[in-house]
Amino acid sequence: MKLWKKLMTIGFVLTLIVMAGCSSDSEGESGDVVTLTFSDFHSEGDQEFFEGLVDEYNKMQDEVKIEYTTTGNLTDYSNTKLPVAFANNEGPDIFMTSPGDFQKYADAGVLADLSPYFKEGVKEDFLPSALEAVTVDDKILALPFELELLGLYYNKTMLEEANLEVPKTWDELLAAAKKLTTDDVAGIALPTDKGAYLNFVWYPFLWQNGGSVLNEDGTKSTFNTPEVAEALDIWGSFFQEGAAPSKLQIDPTDIGNLGGGTAAMQIVGTWAIPMLESEYADGDEFGLAPIPIPEGGKHATAAGGWKFAVNAKSEHVKEAADFIMWAVGDDKERPLEYVTETKFAYAPRQSVVEEGKEFYDKGLRKVFTEEIYDSAIPEPKFGAEVVDAVGEALQNVMFGGMSGKEAAKIADEKIQSILDSKK
Amino acid sequence: MKRMKKNRRKRNEVLTAYGFLLPNLVGLTVFVFFPMIYAFYVSLHDWNALSPKVFIGFDNYVEMASDKRWWASVGRTFLFTLIYVPALYCLSLFFAVILNNLKQKYQSIARTMFLLPFAITSVISAVIWMFLYDPRNGVLNQLLSSLGFDKLEFLGSTNQALVSIVVVILWINIGYNMIIFMASIKEIPKDYYEAAKIDGASAWRAFRSITFPLLRGTSTFILIVTMIASFTVFDQIMVMTSGGPASSTEVSVLYIYKQAFEFLNMGYASALAVILFLIIFILSLAQLRLYTKKG
Repeated sequence: MKLWKKLMTIGFVLTLIVMAGCSSDSEGESGDVVTLTFSDFHSEGDQEFFEGLVDEYNKMQDEVKIEYTTTGNLTDYSNTKLPVAFANNEGPDIFMTSPGDFQKYADAGVLADLSPYFKEGVKEDFLPSALEAVTVDDKILALPFELELLGLYYNKTMLEEANLEVPKTWDELLAAAKKLTTDDVAGIALPTDKGAYLNFVWYPFLWQNGGSVLNEDGTKSTFNTPEVAEALDIWGSFFQEGAAPSKLQIDPTDIGNLGGGTAAMQIVGTWAIPMLESEYADGDEFGLAPIPIPEGGKHATAAGGWKFAVNAKSEHVKEAADFIMWAVGDDKERPLEYVTETKFAYAPRQSVVEEGKEFYDKGLRKVFTEEIYDSAIPEPKFGAEVVDAVGEALQNVMFGGMSGKEAAKIADEKIQSILDSKK
Repeated sequence: MKRMKKNRRKRNEVLTAYGFLLPNLVGLTVFVFFPMIYAFYVSLHDWNALSPKVFIGFDNYVEMASDKRWWASVGRTFLFTLIYVPALYCLSLFFAVILNNLKQKYQSIARTMFLLPFAITSVISAVIWMFLYDPRNGVLNQLLSSLGFDKLEFLGSTNQALVSIVVVILWINIGYNMIIFMASIKEIPKDYYEAAKIDGASAWRAFRSITFPLLRGTSTFILIVTMIASFTVFDQIMVMTSGGPASSTEVSVLYIYKQAFEFLNMGYASALAVILFLIIFILSLAQLRLYTKKG
């Protein structure tokens, strides 16, 4: 018996030691300087940009010190790092959120209201639709700093050799993709796996046809309509008819599918242009056009992009908000440098776009600026389960042999039950 | 006196044994038992990881009963197990017997070759196979079409994706299980086979009446361990298909992962994990019962 007691005591003590070693001390301040944590997922050039911002801010004042960390990887960031940090009450003071995640953080009440921190006139400078996409109950819960739009990139030579015009309608797009498909080249490269990006690339088709996922105030599913069914059908037919590969070796967000010559067309975002210019610099080889529309439809493209957010549970909401306002909600240079030099995207502030006018007319950018920008609709902020239900509908028409009508009906019921259970 | 000495020595031995086991036990308590109990505790709550937990009793378990997608994923896990476990068992036993009859020199070369895939990180082997499986430029389809067969979609087809994944995991694990079989085959006394030969038994007959029955212990171990592994299969599927196409490879663990980290339903995901644990536990017990009863 004594032996057991001894062992138990030793075991207990050791357990305590291990547990004490694992738990981190929560220290926020040292002296008068407020220390804020800023965590994101960027890598390479983007990472350098944000590191630079933080350095500059830390040097120009001595009241707030910001510590920047990055996971370098998007999936780890949104699926592991952030939820785990918040679950342990160690959420970063400053973080980033995308339309795919926004709603769950908003629902959980961890997004601080940024409205009081806008500088004079800056709120009006933002595109109304960009702010609307991050507003819940009149509170602005995140600060957008980039708008990434989608377009149809194509290989000019391949189209010429096949005697094809640049497709302007859905039917032309499907016919072109089928004609361009060979043993080595895919007609068109589209995302294949379920996830927020798949939905993002499909939304333009939905909107062009007048469809929508939810009604205006987000309380009812509007998925079971002929418009939605048709948009699902055209998307599914690329896969059913073999014009889009069922699996891609290169990520669908990567212009390498088109640039490397394994696809003749690819729907991908603004971010692809710097990559095309630097990696596949073959001048006139590639073209860009708005995403084709259905007969009688109107142009639409999806505008995605990340947003700054402040942890509502932070002890220093004001300091954190001041930093992000300084970073992208104040002068024009810093935000412009990010969307023009670090990467290519549109700033959600009209004055910044104006300032970068010259830049936005360079090369293929001109197509985005002149033909696509006006038709941009911000990616909607649905909850993760609604995103999943829409993705399921897409997968069902792509691979499950379902018609758009059937898939829309199933998803409609699913979405409605998700909305009802959240009430 | 003598007796007391003996007792003391025995006690010292026990103490030493527990002393050596202690670090492991502490590790198990902190990293296995505690999280298991905590998972059950979480499963009784509505918790999105971002706001405080709300106690809801067994509501998560009630919700699960009518969650079609969960039961479909359980069905898929069973299907995966039904294909994977027998295939792994038969193939590794088959190769063990064949290799065992090779000359020592060839034996070790072949053994190393079979074991190599096991040394590759699971994610990397998944990526390698994605290249092989590519419907357009993959080696496998090039091979098929050069032999005059139709190309297959592999991971891009709802019918072929699960089987394609089974093949990858077989490729990884056969070598390891084969080596366990080979080790126990070597322990079977040679005389049995000599006696059988004198009685005029064929090789097949010798396998059926000597090798196979004497491998019962090893077989039990391999079947149970493999079954447990196949119920918790995750990384290769996550990398290769992330559950697609059209949910055709969404096994239970993958669904639990999605509920937990994509939808942030930590409470519900924990409830699913508890049930999956119970399923595995019951199946393992039943298997153990079944195999040991005969022996």
